[in-house]
Amino acid sequence: MAGESTRLEVRNLTKLFYGVPAIDSVDFDLRGGEIHGLLGENGAGKSTLCSVLSGLYKPDSGTVSLNGHDVAFRSPLDASNHGIGMVYQHFRLVDSFTVAQNIVLGLPKDQRPRSMRQVQSMVRDLAEEFGLHVDPSASIWQLSVGEQQRVEILKQLFRGAKILILDEPTAVLAAQETDRLFEAVSTMVDKGHGVVLVSHKMAETMEYTDRITVLRRGKNAGSIETRDTTPTQVARMMFGDSNAAERTTFDTAHEIGEPVLSLSGVSVMGDHGLHAVDDASFVVRRGQVVGVAGVAGNGQRELQEAIAGLRPLVGGSITIADTDCTNAGPKATMRAGLAYVPEDRLGVGLAPGLPLEHNIALKSYDRAPYSRRGVLSEGEIEKTMNQLVEDFDVRGNRPGMRVSLMSGGNLQKAILARELNEDHEVLLAAAPTRGLDMAAAEAIRSHIVDERSDQRGVLVFSEDLDEIVHMSDVIIVMFKGHIVGSFERDELDLDLIGLLMTGSGVTRQDTVVSDEVPTDS
Amino acid sequence: MMGRIRVIPRGFAGPGVRFGVPFGALIVALLLGAIILAIAGNDPFEAYSTMFDASLNGWSSITRTLALATPLILTGLAAAVAFQMRVYNIGGEGQLYLGAIAASYVGLALPATTPIVLMLGAMLLAGATAGALWALLAAVPKAYFNADEIITTLMLNFVALSLMNWLIFGSRSFWRDPRRPVPSGKRLPENAVLPSLSGRMHVGIIIAVVAAILLWWLLRKTSWGFQIRTIGDSPRAARYAGMGVRSKTMAVLALSGALAAMAGFSEVSGVTKGLEPVALTSNIGFTGIIIAVVARNNPLGVVPVSVFLAAITTSGSRLQGIGINVQVVLLLQGLIFLTVTAGEFFVMNRISLSPSNVTEAADGTPPSANEIAEATA
Amino acid sequence: MNDSVLILSIASAIVAATPILFAALGEIITNRSGVMNLGIEGMMLMGGVIGFWAGNNTGSLTIALIAGGLGGVSLALIHAVLAVTLRVDQTVSGLSLVIVGSGLSSFIGTSGEPSLLSARNGVEVTSLFPSALRDLPGVGPILFGHDIVVYTGVLAVIGATYVLNRTPRGLALRAVGEDPAAADAAGISVVRMRYIATAIGGFGAGVGGAYLTVAIVGTWQNGLTAGIGWIAVALVILAGWRPWLALFGALAFGGLNGLGFTLQLAQVNVPSDFLKMMPFIAAYLVVILVSASPNRARRLAAPAALAQPYSREDR
Repeated sequence: MAGESTRLEVRNLTKLFYGVPAIDSVDFDLRGGEIHGLLGENGAGKSTLCSVLSGLYKPDSGTVSLNGHDVAFRSPLDASNHGIGMVYQHFRLVDSFTVAQNIVLGLPKDQRPRSMRQVQSMVRDLAEEFGLHVDPSASIWQLSVGEQQRVEILKQLFRGAKILILDEPTAVLAAQETDRLFEAVSTMVDKGHGVVLVSHKMAETMEYTDRITVLRRGKNAGSIETRDTTPTQVARMMFGDSNAAERTTFDTAHEIGEPVLSLSGVSVMGDHGLHAVDDASFVVRRGQVVGVAGVAGNGQRELQEAIAGLRPLVGGSITIADTDCTNAGPKATMRAGLAYVPEDRLGVGLAPGLPLEHNIALKSYDRAPYSRRGVLSEGEIEKTMNQLVEDFDVRGNRPGMRVSLMSGGNLQKAILARELNEDHEVLLAAAPTRGLDMAAAEAIRSHIVDERSDQRGVLVFSEDLDEIVHMSDVIIVMFKGHIVGSFERDELDLDLIGLLMTGSGVTRQDTVVSDEVPTDS
Repeated sequence: MMGRIRVIPRGFAGPGVRFGVPFGALIVALLLGAIILAIAGNDPFEAYSTMFDASLNGWSSITRTLALATPLILTGLAAAVAFQMRVYNIGGEGQLYLGAIAASYVGLALPATTPIVLMLGAMLLAGATAGALWALLAAVPKAYFNADEIITTLMLNFVALSLMNWLIFGSRSFWRDPRRPVPSGKRLPENAVLPSLSGRMHVGIIIAVVAAILLWWLLRKTSWGFQIRTIGDSPRAARYAGMGVRSKTMAVLALSGALAAMAGFSEVSGVTKGLEPVALTSNIGFTGIIIAVVARNNPLGVVPVSVFLAAITTSGSRLQGIGINVQVVLLLQGLIFLTVTAGEFFVMNRISLSPSNVTEAADGTPPSANEIAEATA
Repeated sequence: MNDSVLILSIASAIVAATPILFAALGEIITNRSGVMNLGIEGMMLMGGVIGFWAGNNTGSLTIALIAGGLGGVSLALIHAVLAVTLRVDQTVSGLSLVIVGSGLSSFIGTSGEPSLLSARNGVEVTSLFPSALRDLPGVGPILFGHDIVVYTGVLAVIGATYVLNRTPRGLALRAVGEDPAAADAAGISVVRMRYIATAIGGFGAGVGGAYLTVAIVGTWQNGLTAGIGWIAVALVILAGWRPWLALFGALAFGGLNGLGFTLQLAQVNVPSDFLKMMPFIAAYLVVILVSASPNRARRLAAPAALAQPYSREDR
């Protein structure tokens, strides 16, 4: 039953960064007593909308009104005082403090309880009331991720939040913890609180929400009662209509050869002690582009790092061009024939404070032609750099300039140029065209596709489904660390792929998917 | 909030900035020194001109300055090579003492008739090895356990100091001269002394300058140096490129220790001609750190900066003669260090007074990188 | 004879420990906020020379100590600007202040006619408790024989422990040092906390230096502290950033100073140079042990964000 007093209304909200709208004339509303799902791809604007609601950003235009009164929050604390609390995906908890200490941290003087003992009993009462059981005297580092999340929620409830925004809360949770979370959420909602559930998981959204609002590229893409819609419809709102027909025809008449990158049963640990990749197996063949579709955060980064030798495997094996590279380290993996264009350009792929010449030689500095018997051949390096700059149209570089000054597009071209210039058998490219303008993106894509003609294999990760569809011979879908589907180019079913990306449907490619609300996989 | 003043990271620091800012910092330091001198009732002009006269005016002044610059170049190089990789070797003092101890041992232990080149070569080698090993005491824990090298190298300084003091003041050790009642070190034989070039300046200066050139070549022109520079800029990129960070950490610290120890060899063989703790503890190690920071870790730059700092330091006694507080020398060193350190901020950033066109958070928080990526994706 | 030597040793250890204790307590506060201050040695020297000068001119112990404290604060604020606002390398910044402190204090000490070098101590330090208590056998000299500053030191330990662990301010301070992003998110001003904590550190070092000069040594010499500031830095790490452990550590160091004479009288021959090495070797080993074992690291852990500059853009 909807709560009488709590009502949040957002009308025509626009927020710009560097003149570009992150959200554009967005409408949203929340009633007390309901769970409202907010769905969308990465970059759709969900985070920005939540940041405005929680007081982190001031909107450029539009209104936010709470219980009928227009509000303009000056800070997150201001929003908190108005009863809006946000639980972030990356917790803001001090590891070495206790639960009680974290909850009480930064409370203004008039809200502070008289003693820690009082805090502990208040926390226990709250926990009891909402089913968010956690020991107030435990230290954060001792708690599981699910328990830590409960602390974050309690923090907001302690400050009197009536509206809670949960940002991807189940991203790091195991199955039972997810159940417990939603039990607590329903308790909250029964008591009249309003909850915004930001997610890109279809199953939980369909099961737990009362309404769904979808954002796409910063704008509203649809708002509907959950019981009135289907996963397919929602997926279409999220990812757009299937435009399979508009595929630029690539030269499909090329030979597909033997496997050049094989993964068998690969499992990799994430940073939080859970498996980030679980039993992944697939093959990339010479002359083939394999695209991995999936929403960011489902194990792609960890899988890339494992293939590149930067993260250890806890199970399975990886073979590159007939060489076993399981846990062989980055250098051996390179020598076996892997070229890697990582997602983190300035943090991993390049040394940001050093100039372009240096970065061109980053991987083969100890080999000809870049060095001979330990001495750098600066002339050769410069020659290669100039050649690559010309071939790949890398702009914005001045001699001696640190590469961090170059634009994202040119950085990407530079890294790609370097990687393709080395001897390699397979190219691993992560988010290759993210942040690039059309021309640069197209150039990069064509370089990638050219690899096929040279009888190399390519493994591409991208959040942009359109791009994957354009480039790939085979598309595999990743969700929660599993490979949940595999499609040849001529049997693409974009609706199905969309569903698989959000966790609906079934896990193997040859089983029929149902359009009804599925159980959590 | 902060109004219209914006701090913008500077992407490209041209030579104008890279030389101009430290140079400007030096000027500021000299100005601050002048102010303090004036407050103390001294005439800054008189002070500075006396300093110039004592250190750079005339051949004997110059040789005296260069004599002091010799160990400073070496400890400056020691600090520079380590700091280049963002490994903080604060143990230059201690490594210098170890170098002095080892070199003087060899000089006293080998027969006095050993040919001079062999003798000096052996002393140099012994000193450098001792310094490298002393540095490894901090390097190995750093490489394997990420033990804070600032504290470990610093602590080892004091241990080395006590060790050296004990050898001369606290015991009748091999190093100590039994014939003299006042504790002092045995005199090195003639063949163990670095020949004098002119006045106080000795062959050590050549060793130091050669070391500077070699180190520059090593860092800029070899694939080993390439790795060091990469790790110093971005350890993650270095890992991605397959560079062995652990082994480089130990190698660089060992090299750093060896260089500082060579300063010890140079002093013990060229100046004190025996193990004399009092003369060796004149902050040469710490001053080397100042030099490295001012020279922005460039080995070639270390040489002129060392000469500059040596010039400031040698003029001390002359200042006393005209009634100026000799401590101004130490004070100036500190001010230079301070201003150059602060100046680094201006090398990395520039100040802009124009309003920005990026909207910020309600409380002035600029958007995070993620959010910008999101917005411009 | 043995008894009174032992008692005197302990009593003098307590006095010798006091300067280290004040400096260490200040550094604990600074470190707990996430700032590394290697400049303590320089700040103690500044405190020493300014405290001595103030004591000379006023004859008051209190004024001498406060003046010394303020001398330390002045250098500490420079460090705060460099480390917190300009976000330069905190190691380098701290070291530069050691040298500035040495140079400036030596300069002040040898300035003027007559300089402070030849000045006699203007401050008279008296015992706090009446002689009746002081002359009690055994415990008298140890417990009751000291001046007010020593007892203030102990009170400071109690106070620091209480504030750090039981007050909201202390919690906020520790949060800034453990996870400045979380503290910032909770509405705490990271910059303000760090400035205040650094200033407190400078004050502690300055008071320690002033007490050393005025109450223990009695004259001014350039470079008077002779490495005590560095011992305080090491002590803070050895003590795991806990005030009570810092107290015991300071006593240990103080005791080591007098231990040499005691051992000599007891005809145990340990060279004093080796005794001087002990604290540094101990610190070296503890740092390695702590780094090598992940579990123990939890308990003796440094503030997680120590020496890392914080800026909101780097979220």
